[in-house]
Amino acid sequence: MKISGVATMHAPAGQVFAALTDPAVLVVTIPGCERLDPTGPDSYRFTITAGVASIQGTYIGEISLSQQREPSSFLLTASGAGGPGTVTTSVQVRLAATTDGLTELSYDADAVIGGMIAGVGQRMLASVAKRMAGEFFSSVNSILSGNVVVPAQPGPLAIPGPSEPAAPSVPAAYVAPVRAAAAGQGFTRGVLVGAAVALAGVAVGALAGRRTR
Amino acid sequence: MTSMFGASVYRVEDDRLIRGRGAYLDDLGEDALAAAFVRSPHAHALVTGVDVGGALDVAGLVAIYTYEDLPDRLAEPLPLLIPHPALTHGRTPYPLANGEVNHVGEPVVMVVATDRYLAEDAAGQIIVSYQPLPPVVGIEDARKAAHLVHSDVPGNLAANAVQERGNTAAAIAAAPHVLELDLDIERSASTPLEGRGVLASWDQQSGRLRMWTSTQTSTGVRAAVAAKLGLALSDIDVITPDVGGGFGVKIVHPWPEEVLVPWAARLLGRPVKFTEDRREHFIASAHERAQQHHVTVGFDDNGRITGLDVRFWHDNGAYVPYGLIVPIVTSTQLLGPYKPDAYRVEFDSLYTNTVLVTPYRGAGRPHGCFVMERTMDAIAASLGLDRTVVRERNFIQPEEMPYDQGLIFQDGRPLIYDSGDYPALLAKLKDLIGWDEFTAFRETARKQGRRVGIGLACYVEGTGVGPYEGGHVVVETSGKVKVATGLTSQGQGHQTILAQLVADELGVPMGDVEVVTGDTRRFGYAVGTFASRTAVMSGSAVTLAARKAKEKALRVAAEALEVSASDLEIVGGMVGVKGDPDSRIGLGTVAVLSNPLRYAFDEAAKAATQFAGRGDVTKPPVGQDDEPGIEGRAYFSPVRSTFASGMHAAIVETDPDTAEITILRYCVVHDCGRLINPRIVEGQIHGGVAQGVGGALYERMAYDEAGQLVNASFMDFLMPYVSEVPARIEIDHLETPSPLNPLGIKGAGEAGVIPGAAVLASAIEDAEGIPVRSMPMSPSDLFELRRKHGQETAS
Repeated sequence: MKISGVATMHAPAGQVFAALTDPAVLVVTIPGCERLDPTGPDSYRFTITAGVASIQGTYIGEISLSQQREPSSFLLTASGAGGPGTVTTSVQVRLAATTDGLTELSYDADAVIGGMIAGVGQRMLASVAKRMAGEFFSSVNSILSGNVVVPAQPGPLAIPGPSEPAAPSVPAAYVAPVRAAAAGQGFTRGVLVGAAVALAGVAVGALAGRRTR
Repeated sequence: MTSMFGASVYRVEDDRLIRGRGAYLDDLGEDALAAAFVRSPHAHALVTGVDVGGALDVAGLVAIYTYEDLPDRLAEPLPLLIPHPALTHGRTPYPLANGEVNHVGEPVVMVVATDRYLAEDAAGQIIVSYQPLPPVVGIEDARKAAHLVHSDVPGNLAANAVQERGNTAAAIAAAPHVLELDLDIERSASTPLEGRGVLASWDQQSGRLRMWTSTQTSTGVRAAVAAKLGLALSDIDVITPDVGGGFGVKIVHPWPEEVLVPWAARLLGRPVKFTEDRREHFIASAHERAQQHHVTVGFDDNGRITGLDVRFWHDNGAYVPYGLIVPIVTSTQLLGPYKPDAYRVEFDSLYTNTVLVTPYRGAGRPHGCFVMERTMDAIAASLGLDRTVVRERNFIQPEEMPYDQGLIFQDGRPLIYDSGDYPALLAKLKDLIGWDEFTAFRETARKQGRRVGIGLACYVEGTGVGPYEGGHVVVETSGKVKVATGLTSQGQGHQTILAQLVADELGVPMGDVEVVTGDTRRFGYAVGTFASRTAVMSGSAVTLAARKAKEKALRVAAEALEVSASDLEIVGGMVGVKGDPDSRIGLGTVAVLSNPLRYAFDEAAKAATQFAGRGDVTKPPVGQDDEPGIEGRAYFSPVRSTFASGMHAAIVETDPDTAEITILRYCVVHDCGRLINPRIVEGQIHGGVAQGVGGALYERMAYDEAGQLVNASFMDFLMPYVSEVPARIEIDHLETPSPLNPLGIKGAGEAGVIPGAAVLASAIEDAEGIPVRSMPMSPSDLFELRRKHGQETAS
């Protein structure tokens, strides 16, 4: 599945780049993201709860940011699995300054969806993905414009011993604040979006199916 | 009393089934534990780990099994049912994945819980880690072999097989005209209304297993389960309950679930049940129909084929438990009613990372018919001849029967057509559809701005395939007749036609005859229901068994009435002297008398006891080589298959703007020898035509490049409703009796579907004037075809 799109980000490209590659920002802006555990430089293990219509599930996997050319582009690759299926995707993100000091972001995503959602959710996958992308960008914009503050992350768990040099303070994990209402909203919206898409398909089919006999 | 043979009696099954009193697999086993499976979401991957931690807390969980838990024979791959010398690289699946999965849907973990909901909850908590491998999807990918499905199968080639008669290359080289065609058919599936299911119960006391499974072969499942679980055949009962359709997919056995569920039942000491849901049926049962063919045909000025060379590639999915039956049937049945001077057929059977492929109603004949009939139409087009004339010039003539095609058929025996009259069939078809009047109709339609076309397709079908079937008939002391045969029923009306045959043979009212199929407790030697064989095989067997029972009944009655057996007849269940109504005794009484008793258990039984005054005291009560009771057991095993035939014609209309395809008329002429029940035969034809229309216009399995089946539900896999099937299917019959069985009958089960794609392709091509070389054909496909053809003719 290939999807692409554009979004206007409310900050200069440098700030946008920094925000998009900051796990503390990602954990609160990726829809349904519950936690990101660092597994290496710019690599994280993720737990994301997401729904395609009524097929909701929790996906666990790896996400990493690479090919970073600050402030103009980076590649995001992710691969996860959950009860309803599997997702493997790579997203090329490009940032370009606009004339009024903002940034135009363009993304090209290539995704392979497997399992149950691939078998029964085909018609909804692209629209659900675009909706999630839209939510993501507007959440990032809320942070960029200062309307939302990135919550502080818990401190490091390891206490350096006397012979070890002090390690840089990297949080053990990035955790999204509990957003029960938001998660429910997302699920309900997912159901509504999916239902609307399905009904639209039925309506179109019914119209097309009317034959003059 | 009128004969039951040839009577359109109402089916005896329907009253019960229509009232909701059917007992299908899922209706059984209310107190059984439920099994659910974790299935692969990847088309090709290594299984690197299974983490069941999250599932252990699910209430109602009873057990979780992976490959490592399987003992002895269960840890081996499932059987390769039909070996063949050409199948050099046959691979079958393990019951649970052994470190590698080869299609989306392959079972990895089995969960048993107190009900299906909890089992699925537990399965949802199990995390299986995979290392995805590059998948092979589609015939092109498989041929290129940039990646392999099985690392030890080079070129993804399971088998390569050739059959030839005559010198085809020379014939084509010398032919005045030569054409080459590429013809494709897409994957579809049987899609019965009821999916697969299995229920197993282990009796610790007796050490016996009892299984119910929605299968087309009870004895096949029993043999396989016995082998896998190390049990004696006599310690397993396999009962086929009411089955909501099979159409071929349920002939495959044993499914992983069919060995795992009884194994779990024995381990756990409790009954265990598994019924698949619709998604599981899409991704974990079987598909069929995907083949690509390249044809080279040489013919003379009259359109007679001098040499026919067919090279084709068969997508057999990830495994080949059913061997090469589908491509072998294509190879042989492609010839249809024709006799090309020389014929060569070669096929490659290729692995792909998709669901395995096993027969679906037609089993390779639809492909063969499509290839042959498109070729005939192409020959007619190139010579400017009428399509029926070209076919007539290639027919095997009735006086040439029996006709040896010089090939080996799917039953391992020579392909010899026993009987048939193809010119007569074609004449009937042309008359029925009004072939010669169509040109005028097309002109009238064209003036109205309508686009119409007519097409036809002919086929020959080998039916009544061996090796044998058996029948048992017993007359009880009540006068009721109990019949058993080992093969199974999926809604074809077997209980009705077999009762008709026995009623006729014995001379009893049909209502007194009760037939049981597919129960190993009642009949233990059988093959199964497939290849349109029940009427021929079990019909002949129960007829022969009934004859034995009748002969015994007449002998016992003759002794009792003190007449000669040849003076007796049985009418309406009463045995009496011909022409003397007062001398009659009931068959039930004869049954009592046939069993010399010491103890009378009721009034009627007194007549058979030692002081009742019957029997010759100088002879033993039961003679040598004789038995008590009125029973007959017989087996029918023909020397080879018997060949039915048929021809379909259709008139379609295509919309010039939307490319929508409408079937205006659909005609069938059909020869299945003598008909036991014409209404049931028509029902079989109707169902087959519906499946043919579905396969021609709607059904395809859409796999993406990652090997994901993206239309794994009825939202997106389009099956025809009643609205898509022609409202009236016009049928005419011809009967060329079969010389190979006592009833002169041939099979009728698959006939309706075989020429579906071919006849509609022929009609659409006629309407559009564009060659149609691949099916299915949806309006979008036709639209695209028009566009491409318009571009090609423009340039």
